[in-house]
Amino acid sequence: MLQRTSYLTTNYDKPECWALSLYESTGGYTQAKRVLTSMTKEQVIDEAKKANVRGRGGAGFPMGLKWSFMRPHATKPSYLVLNADEGEPGTHKDRTIMELNPHSVVEGCIIACFAIGAHVAYIYVRDELHLSKARLWGAIEEAKKKGYIGLAPFGVDYEVQVHVHTGAGAYICGEETALLNSLEGKRGEPRLKPPFPAQVGAFGCPTTVNNLETIAIVPTVMALGGEAFSKLSGLHAFNDGGVRLYGVNGHVKTPGVIELACGPTLNELIFDVGGGVLGDRKILCAIPGGSSTPILLPSETINAPDPAHPMHAFHGKSVFDVPLGVDTARHMGTMLGTCCVTVLAEGTCPVLAMHNLMQFYRHESCGQCTPCREGGSWLLRTVDRILDGHGTMEDVNNLSDIASNMMGNTICAFGEGTAMPALGFIGKFREHFEAYVRGERRRADARLTVA
Amino acid sequence: MPTFKLDDREITFNPGETIIAAARTAGQEIPHYCWHPGLSVAANCRMCLVEIEPAPGQRAMMLDVLDWDATLGDYVPRRKPKLQPSCQIVVTEGMVVRSNSSPHVTEARKSVQEFLLLNHPVDCPICDQAGECKLQDYWMEHGQFGKRMHDEPVHKPKAVEFGPTIVYDAERCVMCTRCIRFMDEVAKDPVLEMRERGNLNEIMVAPGRELTGHYTFMVDHVCPVGALTTKDFRFKSRVWFLKTHDSICQGCATGCNTHLDVDPRENSAYRLRPRENMAVNKFWMCDEGMMTYRATSEGRTVDHLVSGQVVTSDTALKEVQARFGGTPPNEIGILLSSQASLEDNWALLELARTHIGTKHVFFTGAANGYADDILIHADKNSNRNGVKLLAPHAKDLHELIQSVAGGVVTRLIVLANDADDAAVAAKLAGRLDTTIYLSSASNPFVSEGRGIVFPICGWAEASGTYINQHGTAQVAKKALEPRGSARPGWEVISKIAAALGFTTGWTKLKEVRGKLPVTMSTTVAE
Ligand SMILES: Cc1cc2nc3c(=O)[nH]c(=O)nc-3n(C[C@H](O)[C@H](O)[C@H](O)COP(=O)(O)O)c2cc1C
Ligand code: SF4
Ligand code: SF4
Ligand code: FES
Repeated sequence: MLQRTSYLTTNYDKPECWALSLYESTGGYTQAKRVLTSMTKEQVIDEAKKANVRGRGGAGFPMGLKWSFMRPHATKPSYLVLNADEGEPGTHKDRTIMELNPHSVVEGCIIACFAIGAHVAYIYVRDELHLSKARLWGAIEEAKKKGYIGLAPFGVDYEVQVHVHTGAGAYICGEETALLNSLEGKRGEPRLKPPFPAQVGAFGCPTTVNNLETIAIVPTVMALGGEAFSKLSGLHAFNDGGVRLYGVNGHVKTPGVIELACGPTLNELIFDVGGGVLGDRKILCAIPGGSSTPILLPSETINAPDPAHPMHAFHGKSVFDVPLGVDTARHMGTMLGTCCVTVLAEGTCPVLAMHNLMQFYRHESCGQCTPCREGGSWLLRTVDRILDGHGTMEDVNNLSDIASNMMGNTICAFGEGTAMPALGFIGKFREHFEAYVRGERRRADARLTVA
Repeated sequence: MPTFKLDDREITFNPGETIIAAARTAGQEIPHYCWHPGLSVAANCRMCLVEIEPAPGQRAMMLDVLDWDATLGDYVPRRKPKLQPSCQIVVTEGMVVRSNSSPHVTEARKSVQEFLLLNHPVDCPICDQAGECKLQDYWMEHGQFGKRMHDEPVHKPKAVEFGPTIVYDAERCVMCTRCIRFMDEVAKDPVLEMRERGNLNEIMVAPGRELTGHYTFMVDHVCPVGALTTKDFRFKSRVWFLKTHDSICQGCATGCNTHLDVDPRENSAYRLRPRENMAVNKFWMCDEGMMTYRATSEGRTVDHLVSGQVVTSDTALKEVQARFGGTPPNEIGILLSSQASLEDNWALLELARTHIGTKHVFFTGAANGYADDILIHADKNSNRNGVKLLAPHAKDLHELIQSVAGGVVTRLIVLANDADDAAVAAKLAGRLDTTIYLSSASNPFVSEGRGIVFPICGWAEASGTYINQHGTAQVAKKALEPRGSARPGWEVISKIAAALGFTTGWTKLKEVRGKLPVTMSTTVAE
């Protein structure tokens, strides 16, 4: 059963919902004030850990744990950086927060800065999101005027400044260390790790990078208390707590973004939120959380006969009927990613879908490391040949080889983000690729849309 | 010392060292393109990936991949361990690293090699790097496969002039960023950058700039492939025709260690490259130094001359007898050279002091010039410290001309190329008609065509010892056969001595070197 909640989205459909007055009318900024006036940073981090907030940027790293890595440096300041690059194809949740509830971001910044010992927060926003930037700027101005941010927020001697920094529309700048390079005015290339941002981050200083939604939910965490927040989730037992934004897009009747307790199933998202598949067709496959996460087919089931297996409760069920969480998705051979599901309806072409994604990855690779730079483009060109009817069975065989040799061999996760969906498509839809080679299908007939 | 295990070997390492560096010290090369021992770590080529056994109690990170099984007609899932770049990972005590012994590493190397060659033009037949190219070497070792991509490779700019000295071919470039890092970190001039994205990447020179300065040739030498070439060496020779000899740069008092590449078929030098010496020049050299290979053939003195006329060696020696015979020993002076080898300087000094019996010892050399705090020394002489060691009280050119003007010195034996004061040298040449010149190249002393000229070997034609700015004695080995009638200076000096009626007692290099007041680690106080 879908558990709709409305912590971040209470005001989403009210007029001028981005204004400070409305935010305050529903308890806005009381948590930041309470934290700054009555809590220690250790207490805040403790609540954050109990809340089991798994990072909303894709990797699902526990937020409280990440905060606890921050150690004050003898001479350098610390920074909080919010990742609002939201470049993952099929992902469109952060922009709703920036446009409709920007003050939750600013309040989250105050609390998070306090917890990690930072006085400055940078919000790195994808440049094309003009309304998002305008709303954030507006919120920052309002909060400044009220004295909620600045030299002494709420009269407390703990300076917090919040800045918006715009990117230039490069997907790779969503990778946290490429983002830091870009923030510093350098070429947007991922850095080698270690050192991790908590040791050497923005401008060489200790830095926490969190997804924008991760920070926006922080005031809610503080209002409810960590444990109560975590228990809202259907996956509390998997340490995957609270509520988050889910998106549904692709071939569904009512695409959109919705706030839910963690743990809806794919079927619930597709049918209860998305209103079912366009033309009431069957589902071909779904991309669970942004294009880098491997596809799932409704025919796939959970195989966990061992009662000790954490997924045993779902043994034999379709993966579309299992609660979607960071760890449950891993057990399904995919990733939760950004929680925005893309649905492909039966009748559309998975080869064309893979081609579409590979075009994106070929274009967005920073080109720094060999397997990603060369492999991504080779995948694209091979699928291109196959679609054009010039492919051979050898080309089809090469696809899994290329992707397997990209896996794990690159500097950043972009390489895997390209290889995993490629392996998903070729592994689960090989007969479609072969059909092109045998001349049974033509590119001209291939569709990605439902007429 | 702490140790770790690399394949089957127990290897010691210095704390803080990376796996690849420790392996290199132990004499085991882990294949690599982007790593360079003198530059920061970029870890972008991924050729050096190794398998590291997880620490006790930790699980290996595994990745899910697929293999196509043709007999089954289906994909077979496989898990492989996550490999690590050995150029980035710092060794820890007891670490177990698999390089050549891991099938996953073998697979990764082969695939990186294949990825790198996908869009490479494979124009080895017209590429200057062929024969010393990492792409070729590693293909032989880790590749040996046919091409699986049948599409047109990506085309990129070719023969791009980066500046007066360097040409870039973007299609051959493997994007290792060594050239960028060299200019940034060593030359301290961050003039190179990467532009574009993905497999359209290319190296560029900063807008409004050219690749200029004193260290441009080095980008060719750090480039592991044929993407960067020097205009000087471009299309001049195939490297497999060249033979390499260890030498010492004669450009300044730093004494950079070099490889002199010569073509033995035509007895000529083609290139001078840095040779690693961590105590002197690390891995580097300057452009001016690298261009000194030309001095092995250009402007050389190759004939015996008497008053400007080419003569035989015998005639020249007879002339020595005629002009110097009977001169009171005290009127004979010698002029040592900070540019000549210790052997030649020693032989001349020995002739003057032990045999002739004169105290008139002078020295000269090239004038001071440009200096920086990277490699280039203001003292443009390769052996000033050598002359200082042999003759600490030798006097300079100005004192020489006074002695000549005052009639104290009437005969002179000159071992010289450059003069630190060319005007004085020219004046001197006009004053004396009874001079012996031991010369390897045309110089201000012999310009008047007076006196007796003996052609001697340049630094590439005879093994010689040079003492650099820090007092380190280093040997430049013989790389070329002497040009024309040139012979080693010390040998010519022995013959001149004989013409003057003395027996020196040396006929072989070994005999001269045995008498030098240095060992190869001699340090001379400043
Ligand atoms: C290629 C690539 C693109 C990414 N893009 C984004 C992005 O647009 N937004 C985001 O929040 N995280 C993105 N990430 C994940 C970040 O690197 C990082 O894990 C995240 O911002 C951490 O925040 P969290 O812990 O709050 O999730 C991306 C990662 C990769 C490898
Ligand atoms: S994996 Fe791709 S995006 Fe990431 S550093 Fe390498 S080339 Fe750049
Ligand atoms: S030009 Fe050479 S050194 Fe520079 S990035 Fe390309 S391959 Fe590397
Ligand atoms: S040598 Fe290039 S990644 Fe290590």
